[in-house]
Amino acid sequence: MKRILIIEDDPMICHELKLLLDDHGYEGIILEDFEHALDSILKIRPDLILLDIQIPYLDGEILLQRLRAVSNIPVIMVTSKNTQLDEALSISYGADDYITKPYVPNILLLRIGAVLKRMDVSTDKIFYKDLTFYCRKGILANGKEEIILTKNEMIIFNYLLMHPSCIVSRDELMTELWNNDEFINDNALTVNISRLRRKLKEVGYADAICTKKGQGYLLL
Amino acid sequence: MNFFLYLKDHLFFFLFRLLFFVLLFLLFFAFKVPFDCFIAIFILCTFVDFFSFFYDYFRRRSFYKALYLQVSKLDQAYLVLEMISQPEFYEGKFLWQILYDINKSMRENVLGYERRMQSYQAYIEMWVHEVKIPLATLTLMVKNHPGKFDKKVTSELKRLEDYVDQVLYYARCENASEDYLIQEVDLAKVIKNVGLKNMNDLLESKIDYLVDPISFHVLTDSKWLEFILEQIINNSIKYKRDIPNSYIHITAFEEENGIVLSILDNGIGIKASDINQVFHKSFTGTNGRKVSKSTGMGLFIAKSMCEKLGHHISIESKDQEYTKVTILFSRNQYYDVLK
Repeated sequence: MKRILIIEDDPMICHELKLLLDDHGYEGIILEDFEHALDSILKIRPDLILLDIQIPYLDGEILLQRLRAVSNIPVIMVTSKNTQLDEALSISYGADDYITKPYVPNILLLRIGAVLKRMDVSTDKIFYKDLTFYCRKGILANGKEEIILTKNEMIIFNYLLMHPSCIVSRDELMTELWNNDEFINDNALTVNISRLRRKLKEVGYADAICTKKGQGYLLL
Repeated sequence: MNFFLYLKDHLFFFLFRLLFFVLLFLLFFAFKVPFDCFIAIFILCTFVDFFSFFYDYFRRRSFYKALYLQVSKLDQAYLVLEMISQPEFYEGKFLWQILYDINKSMRENVLGYERRMQSYQAYIEMWVHEVKIPLATLTLMVKNHPGKFDKKVTSELKRLEDYVDQVLYYARCENASEDYLIQEVDLAKVIKNVGLKNMNDLLESKIDYLVDPISFHVLTDSKWLEFILEQIINNSIKYKRDIPNSYIHITAFEEENGIVLSILDNGIGIKASDINQVFHKSFTGTNGRKVSKSTGMGLFIAKSMCEKLGHHISIESKDQEYTKVTILFSRNQYYDVLK
């Protein structure tokens, strides 16, 4: 499980962020000791850091600079400072991404996923039971036959595969699609899911995508 | 300065001079001085008088003329003292000193206001950042603890956030501060971010977000541009028509003058009588009165921001048919050369 360190001085946000991360297949850790922030980070060795700019003792940007001198743990700046200048500065200090508060939780999760994926280069092929999914090409193969998925189906299937045994809401799928420049509407999402189901049925997995009423979809 | 008016201003002197000659004439007559002598003195005096008047007139004229010209030419007339040198004659020196004192007092006054504005803006910035923290907490809480009113709470939170942003950008563009950073920005990315941020509202109001493939880069501040686009898209959502296929169509193309971004919706449109005023502050018009949420600030702020960034924003519409907003990003030859 990927461990994500939350560096943020507002206790309510810390708590809710941790809940959000824990609910979505990550382990959220809250940084307690701001005075020795750098040492704590190096001790915890997280996979990713969510860093606020306005934190006690050290400015977030200075902490980032000092961290970059010794480590290249991915860092996403999460802050309410929203000028382009702040963003450009943070990126130049070595942040991997920059999100302004208040963020849409789905978008935050998406950005976290994207940064972690960038670190992990070996995601060309994903296996699902006896199927191989080539996510770059959008081809689903089971040794005998190959099925070509459209871009939308590919995005949906990939997202479901990345969140095994999690209920994925329509909202999350929609965000993922829009994030890939596919600005589709509700009907189109329903159509795409039923097409994806039909294609999975052809390779013998008729009930792979299960609908949880009012919550979303689950890849069995 | 007119010489005759100047002489007229010295009418008293001439009257006294006339009296002087009358008395002199009487005196010469009493002492039996020859008449020729009187004529000689009269001519000499008149000559000297005119000469000294001319001299005085031109000395003054060069100062007053410069003063008058600069005041009418300068667009900030109070800077006039920087443009003219101190005159040689006493009266001018005196006037110059008074102008200087007035100017100083005005500058102190303006500076006071400027400081107050700046501290007010700083306060607004701080307040907005502070208020965004509980907003972020609330958004996370809605996501983490699903309940009955999720959609409504999320959309109300979004509205709150939009209004807070409006305050921030209003404060930024009304003040002379330079809070933006011009960079080469990918238009497609900006359009995507705006779409993502407003996805729920768009889906909720069943408006299709149609984006043509766009591969242009423009010189702008991406945060500001996102805010500007959001104002336009919010309007499209607010003023949609009750028809089954509502849409917002975004496209961009290259023109002679630069790159044009066009946002077209098939909403209720704007009446011809209102269209010239939509960018005015607090203008709500016929449409605004139908929708209670209208503040008339969105497009005004968008326009002022475009002006600051050097973009040209324009709008065209047909009542009950469409509204089309276009933003022109002018080509920057200086930048092209540098690149």
